[in-house]
Amino acid sequence: MALTRLGLNQSINLASNTTGTLGVANGGTGLTSGTTDQFLKFTGSTTLASATGGGITEADTWRITSQFSGDAAPITANWERDDTDGNGYIGSGMSQSSGVFTFPSTGFYRVTFYHQFSGMTTGPGTSSNYVQQEIQYTANNSSYNDATEVWGSIFQNGAYTMTVSSKIFDITDTSNQKVRFSTTSADNSIYTQGNTGKNMTYATFVKLGET
Amino acid sequence: MRPTHIEDYLVNVRKGQWFGWSDSKNKVYANLIVHDGGSKPTEQQCTDGLKELQDAWDAANS
Repeated sequence: MALTRLGLNQSINLASNTTGTLGVANGGTGLTSGTTDQFLKFTGSTTLASATGGGITEADTWRITSQFSGDAAPITANWERDDTDGNGYIGSGMSQSSGVFTFPSTGFYRVTFYHQFSGMTTGPGTSSNYVQQEIQYTANNSSYNDATEVWGSIFQNGAYTMTVSSKIFDITDTSNQKVRFSTTSADNSIYTQGNTGKNMTYATFVKLGET
Repeated sequence: MRPTHIEDYLVNVRKGQWFGWSDSKNKVYANLIVHDGGSKPTEQQCTDGLKELQDAWDAANS
């Protein structure tokens, strides 16, 4: 930073009497200009930089449009992005093919799966009354592990309930790191609820930050 | 809840995600699609199947 020589009793006009940048060590930002919608972050002890962010950059909701009975391991069909009743998503959103979801960019994502189901069988205490749901994850776009596993129960035909599972994923490779969803039950004994006008069985994806 | 749509019948035809809709916002028989390569019920079967479910529900809740 340079400072124009000043006369006695002359104040400093920062617009006309200075050039260059004032360093961080001297109370400046180290920058000559900023970028719209970016903010300042420390990059070390002596410099600052403008950075993107300051808010949610990706958020999306997908749901299944039709109910089905029994297992779907994984749930491959009838997915749609929420498109009714004040719907919306942030960023470019998730992409989906045959139930496999691809992240739009690298970063930390919170994925949450809501599974609503009703009973097909009756009789509390019978061995058929467990319902399992998973968020399944692949690191190689091929083999999947159960990243979450949540159990629920239903004890009566016509009764409804929901299970929820969630996990934060560190996505560094969008080509190979993907997720899908699964549900199984004892004796294939439930109806999974789905609807094209409201979220019943659905998944949400929120990018929390950069990886 | 009382069955009101042929989808309530279809979920009982066989298990799994075997069916869907070419237009999920217009779930009429003409838009019914089969995912699993299996047979597709006729429209009459869907109509009769829904009525059977409704009759059973009505009888159980009257």
